[in-house]
Parts: sequence; C-alpha cells; structure tokens
Amino acid sequence: MIIRIHRGKGGKYDDFDIEAAEGMTVLDLLFYIQENVDPSLAFRYSCRGAACGSCAVLANGLPVLACKTPLSKLTKPAENGQVFLPVSAEIPGGGILLEPAPYLPVIRDLVVDWEPFFEKYRKLEPVLKAGGETPEKEYIVGHDESREMEKYTNCILCALCWSACPIVAGVEGYPGPAALAKLFRFYLDPRESGDIDRLSIADNESGWWACDFYTNCKKVCPKGVPPNVAIGRARKLLKDKEEGK
Amino acid sequence: MGNKDLYRHDVIVVGGGLAGLRAAVEACDRGADTAVLSKVYPLRSHSVAAQGGINAALGNSPAAKDDNWEKHAFDTIKGSVYLADQDAVEILCREAPGAVFELEHWGTVFSRDDHGRLAQRPFGGADVPRTCYAADRTGHNLLNTLFEQAASRGIRFYNEFFVTSLVVDEETCRGCIALDILSGNLHGFSSKSLVLATGGYGMIYDHSTNSLINTADGMALAYSAGAKLKDMEFVQFHPTTLSGSNILISEGARGEGAYLVNSEGDRFMAKYAPQAEELAPRDIVARSIMKEIQAGLGFDGGCVHLDLRHLGAEKIRERLPGIRQIAMDFADLDPVEQPIPVQPGQHYSMGGIDVSPDGETGIRGLFAVGECACISVHGANRLGGNSLLDTLVFGRRVGDKAFNESHDEAAPVVEAALNREIKRLDELFSSRGESFASLMREMKKTMFESFGIFRDENNMQEGLGSLNELGKKFEGAAVNSARKIFCQSLVRTLELGFMLDIAGAVALSALWRKESRGSHYRTDWPDRDDDRYLKHTLISKTDGQKPAIEYSPVKLGLFPVKEDGY
Ligand SMILES: Cc1cc2nc3c(=O)[nH]c(=O)nc-3n(C[C@H](O)[C@H](O)[C@H](O)COP(=O)(O)OP(=O)(O)OC[C@H]3O[C@@H](n4cnc5c(N)ncnc54)[C@H](O)[C@@H]3O)c2cc1C
Ligand code: SF4
Ligand code: FES
Repeated sequence: MIIRIHRGKGGKYDDFDIEAAEGMTVLDLLFYIQENVDPSLAFRYSCRGAACGSCAVLANGLPVLACKTPLSKLTKPAENGQVFLPVSAEIPGGGILLEPAPYLPVIRDLVVDWEPFFEKYRKLEPVLKAGGETPEKEYIVGHDESREMEKYTNCILCALCWSACPIVAGVEGYPGPAALAKLFRFYLDPRESGDIDRLSIADNESGWWACDFYTNCKKVCPKGVPPNVAIGRARKLLKDKEEGK
Repeated sequence: MGNKDLYRHDVIVVGGGLAGLRAAVEACDRGADTAVLSKVYPLRSHSVAAQGGINAALGNSPAAKDDNWEKHAFDTIKGSVYLADQDAVEILCREAPGAVFELEHWGTVFSRDDHGRLAQRPFGGADVPRTCYAADRTGHNLLNTLFEQAASRGIRFYNEFFVTSLVVDEETCRGCIALDILSGNLHGFSSKSLVLATGGYGMIYDHSTNSLINTADGMALAYSAGAKLKDMEFVQFHPTTLSGSNILISEGARGEGAYLVNSEGDRFMAKYAPQAEELAPRDIVARSIMKEIQAGLGFDGGCVHLDLRHLGAEKIRERLPGIRQIAMDFADLDPVEQPIPVQPGQHYSMGGIDVSPDGETGIRGLFAVGECACISVHGANRLGGNSLLDTLVFGRRVGDKAFNESHDEAAPVVEAALNREIKRLDELFSSRGESFASLMREMKKTMFESFGIFRDENNMQEGLGSLNELGKKFEGAAVNSARKIFCQSLVRTLELGFMLDIAGAVALSALWRKESRGSHYRTDWPDRDDDRYLKHTLISKTDGQKPAIEYSPVKLGLFPVKEDGY
C-alpha cells in the first residue's frame, strides 16, 4: 500500500510502500515508518488511546486522531456525515495520504504549531471564577447540571474542530468551536460568581454570531463534544436577554 | 546544536502532569518565580489518561457513612503489604479530603450523588466506596482544572522542552539542560530549586497501559546525578487491559460490578479471592488471570473476558461511557452486547526516586514528586485511586518545600554544563549506526519476560545478561536523522538511554529481594518473609558507575504488621 506523507514545511511529499498489518492504526503506521524506514519522520503522540489530543492529522482528507483511526477506515467508501477537507496532493490509488491538520502553521512533516488555537482559548479566560464564600466541603451541584457541563468538559483540545471549521478559515478573530464550547462550559457552571457575564465575552460579530452552523465541529469531534449546540444555546440566551425575556 | 541562552527561575518544575502542576501552583502562590518544563504540551501528559478516580474518606456514600482517614490508611497499608511508610500514608489520607475539595473548588466537574455531593464508587482493595470520580475521565478533568489554574497564575511554561541532564555541583542541584524540541536548540536553566515530576517508566515493558512518553526520564536523571532509587522491583500489572493494544479498562468497571470470566464461562476470581472476588487487589487479580490463561482456560490471543452485560445498557452508558468508547474505538465491540477481551499489562511504578514526605532527594535543591518518586505510600502494591491523590497531596507539599529550601544560583556552572551537553549531543546527532528501535524492542521483551508478573532467579539472571548486552550496544546507537527541528529520533534515543538505566535498576532490585510481596512475585521464593525483607530496597550509583544495593527500615507505627488475605 502506498503511503504518501507530507514532509518538511510545505509542498513536498514522500511515498512509502508499506505492507500494512491487520488492525493497524494511522499512528501504528507512523511509528512503523519512523522505526523501520525513515527515522527523520516527525509526528506527535502521547497516550495512543484518544485521550490526550496530541495526534490530529488529515488522512485522505478526513480530519482524525491518528491513534483512533484504523487504516481500513480510510480505504473504505465514504460514510454519511463524514467531513472531507481539501487535500494538497493526490491521494494514491488504494493508498493513504497523510497531511498536517489545516489552519495551523506547519512546523515539520505532520507537526503543526498549536499556538493560534491555544491563543484563542486563553483569551476567553478558561478558569473557574467562583463567587461568594468557598464552602468547607464541596459545592453542591445537581446531577443534571454536572452532566450538562460534562458534554463540554469532555473536550481534549485536539484542535480537529478548528481544522474542520470554515469560519475559522474565513473570519478573522473567531475563537473557534472548542474555545467557544469551553466558554459555554464556564457559563453553565453553577459555582461561577453571578457577577461574571461569560456570554458577553464573545457577544460580537466574530464570536458567537460568526458561526454559520456547518456543524463540522461536532461531526469531526472524536469525543462527541457538540460546540455547535453551545453556540446555538448561547445565541438564544443572548437574544432572549436582549428581548427582555 | 545549541545557543547560549540561559533561563533563570527560582523554582523549576520538570513535568506538566498533575504532580508537576500542583507543585508549580504552590511554589507560585508562595511567591516564587516558577517555570514548568514539559516534553509534551502539559495537557498531553500521561495524567490525562487516568480513568477511575481519586480516593478520599469523605463518607458521602450511604455504605461509607463512618469512613475516616484511619480506615483509608489501613486499606492503603494492607494493600502495600506493609511496605508503605506509615507516617507518609497518614499524611496522604489525612490530607485527601482537602486535596479533592480544593480541585472541586477550582472547577473540576466531578460526578455527583443524589444530594449534589461528590459521588463515590467502590474500588479494589478498599473497604467501602471511597473513590471520587469524574465519570471515567477523572485524570482528564483534574488535569484540565490544574492547567487552567496554573496558566491563570502567570507560571512560565516551556512546552516541548526535553530535559537531557541535571546540573549538580557541590552536592547541590543548580538547574538543568533542556532541548527545545521545536527548534532543536539546547538551553541552560538555572534555578534555586528544581522539582522532578516526570511520571513513570511504563515503556521499559512490552504490554503497558502507559502513555508512550512514559520513559523513566526523571528517575534516570536523578539516578545519574547520584540520588537513590527505592523499591524499584515493585511494578504494578493491571489485570484488565484491552487485549492487544493494552489500553486500560479501568477498575471502575469491576467497581460497578463487571465479572471476569474464563473460556468455560466461570467467574474464576471466587477461587483465588473468595471474599473480594473481582475487587481483590490488582496483583492478585493479575496473577489469577495469568494462571487461568496458563491453565488453558483463556481465549485466543491470551486473554479472559470482562463481562459488563448484566449491568445493563443504562448503567454502562452513564457510569462507564469512556470504557464503552474505548471498547468501541479500539476493539470494535460494544460492551453492552459483548464481553471485552482483557489481559494484564504493566501499569504503575510503585518504586522511584527515594524522597522524604517533603520530596527531598538527598541532593540539595533537588526534589521529586508523583509517579517518578517513592515516598513511599504505595509499598508493594498501589491501590487504585491512590496515585492521583499522591500527585495532589504531595505536589502541594513539595511545591512549598521547594520554595522554602531554595539555594543560591550558580549560573556559570550551568553555562559550563550547557557547553559540555552541546558537545555530547552534537556527537550523538552526527552519529550513524544501529538506531534506537531494535534495541528498544529487545529491552521491552526482556523486561516483560524476565521481570514480569511471575519471576524466578534463572529467568531474571538471563534477563539481566540481555540488559547488559543492550547497554553495550546502546553506546553505539545512532540518531540517523539530519533534521534538527522536531528531531524525534534524537529524543527517542535519549529516552532509550534513560530506560535502559532504569530497567537495570528494576532488574537488580528484583534479584535482591528473595521473597514474594505484593506485585513482586517470585515462583522460587513464593512466601512473604518479614524477618529478612520488611524493608525498602535502595539502589544508587555509588562511584558514579556501578550500582550498589542497600536497604532502609520501613516506618511503622500506625498499624501492626499482620498476615492477611483478601
Ligand atoms: C491508563 C491509566 C489509568 C490510570 N488511572 C488512575 C486512576 O483512576 N486513579 C489513580 O489514582 N491513578 C491512576 N493512574 C495512575 C496515574 O494516572 C499516574 O500515576 C499519575 O497521573 C502520574 O502523574 P505525574 O504527574 O506523576 O506524571 P505524568 O502525568 O506522567 O506527567 C509527567 C510529566 O513529565 C514530563 N516529562 C517527562 N520526562 C521529561 C523530560 N525528560 N523533560 C521534560 N519533561 C518531561 C511529561 O511531559 C509530563 O508532563 C492511571 C494510570 C494509567 C496508566
Ligand atoms: S471539541 Fe472535539 S474536536 Fe474540538 S478540540 Fe475539543 S475534542 Fe477536539
Ligand atoms: S495519542 Fe493521545 S489522542 Fe492520539
């Protein structure tokens, strides 16, 4: 099977002819190449269990976690709901094209610079700002409230949604789906001080209101996080407030 | 390879996992100019993968109304087979509720009970439900919270900086040398105190649940700098890892009531641990599974089944969503409908850098905390849920100590060390020869076969011989890459050097202890021998070269040493 991999900072691709083993994931394949064929290949990894968010790549145009994606999934016919992004080289027939995740500067091979993604995340001040007196024990938080937050705390900040979002590509200053989902998670938190107006932080043309609900974020998210739902709910809450509801 | 930039900070923490971040937050809150160096972006640290939970005697569960720190301490000490230091266990268990509440106050979204309090689940080796959790993504939630706290405090982060050596002069740690992975440049870091929080060494073994970056770095750095390592023979094997990929299937599954079943359909744990059954301590469950497999009662691929089906779809979806996801993503099955094939795998390092309860290593200005350290609170066998607790409780204490016990800086010494390190790595970088990969594979196999779940003298001696051979071959190992930027083959070659060093320490310690205790199980010495071995193993490079073994007494005092079973 021909594996075509992006090399260097841009434009160049190397082909590897690899006998793929049964059940191999994209990450297994990258390790196989680095350990047996070309030690200079660069890619990120850590947990190999879809928990740490290190290994986002573009595989045959699909934005995926390398550790969670079996090669077989990439050579099968497209499924409903899959989001394909434009590729920069030809996908080898019956083979696999691996490229760095889009909309982040490339450092080398499949490694990108996360800074633009995390800069937006930091800007929204993702830290609990609790109000009132700290209880001696835990805060009392209901089942339902905590489950609602969980939907968003499940985010592993892998930046796949960033890479798949047309608004990130088109609107200057857009925080991106993951950062907005994070902001909404803090808005939902009953422990937050009532003085903080989390929703207003992104209440502008390049914030909540920039989203066009392509819902690519939810479709590509490896952890089932629905940033689109957070954005929709924030908009409704802001509208209701403006209309004095 | 390098440029001469020298960075200075009061407190430098190496490691952006839970232990490192908790230490950094404390040092920063006390007023220290604090920096964190981490070879991966902190959120990618291994702590993020912890699933099941964190122990604290809160007594929130109706079944645990009169729970208290003493009971937690008793379970911990019994689980440790009396090898834990009881003064340290007292600190761990007394401070547990405070440590958990603190993270809750900082924003962790824990799972709740019907009263809105922190929910608590049963875990192996514990008398009552004592484990707080955030679904089965506890590490992920704690790490995100601590990262949020650390980042909002102005702690300086050096992400993707790989520490290659410590600078020790006049028995005092003066800082470290680190490779900026993104640029390929080496930098010197001068500090008044330095905390190692680099996590475990799972990658020295085949079949490990650990993240692929757990390569023993901090332990090897301290060992080479002259610090002692303690109880290195105690390696925890987790009974239930996904067959093949060895991704962890948390004890939370058995805590919720999952069964272990052999190929004849029997729940075999009743044979080995009549009372605790599936919830016996990890070492016992791991050995029981291996015995079933060896007796021909396993399934294809050397595994048994973990059956969740009787729990029902709703409970599985609600309480164990992460495990269900893992089974679907990595084994292509839904545990609501099918049992999960599992086998034991290396999981946790009880041993580590020998430290006091304040993280002191014996080298001035050098501290260690978290999985890379051994205080010791886990002894011969760690209880599930106690190591996340260890990182928080002792992270805070060590951050405080590192702030209080800081030493004079010695920037010129760091600069000289930087120049030497630039030369060393330049030579390594330009070398051509056998690459790290084949040596690494050989090491992993040797460790699993000779220093795994069942051990004996002959097998271990043979294993030690292979390790020595590998050590010699490693001297000629080569990087074989001309690209300086993000040069993983350089990083991985250095990691292999660290791992071989630590594999040797595990091997020598395991040979020294001629008894069976907790996770260290010798078929040639199957009994526990308190008269000769109720003590800690210490290993150090005495003359800077050849390792020597000594021992130190266990600190008792809370509970008398007993023979007990599960
Ligand atoms: C799959 C799994 C599940 C677990 N579940 C639980 C659980 O439910 N409950 C529980 O109590 N325990 C659990 N554990 C154990 C627990 O997760 C770990 O012991 C704990 O997270 C270790 O934290 P740490 O901060 O010491 O190290 P880590 O989180 O491993 O962090 C190490 C840090 O050091 C850095 N580092 C390492 N080497 C270098 C270097 N050379 N230069 C620079 N930086 C370096 C890394 O980048 C990283 O930031 C689990 C373990 C595994 C494997
Ligand atoms: S929302 Fe999903 S895709 Fe986006 S960063 Fe988080 S985990 Fe990744
Ligand atoms: S390696 Fe951690 S998510 Fe893929």
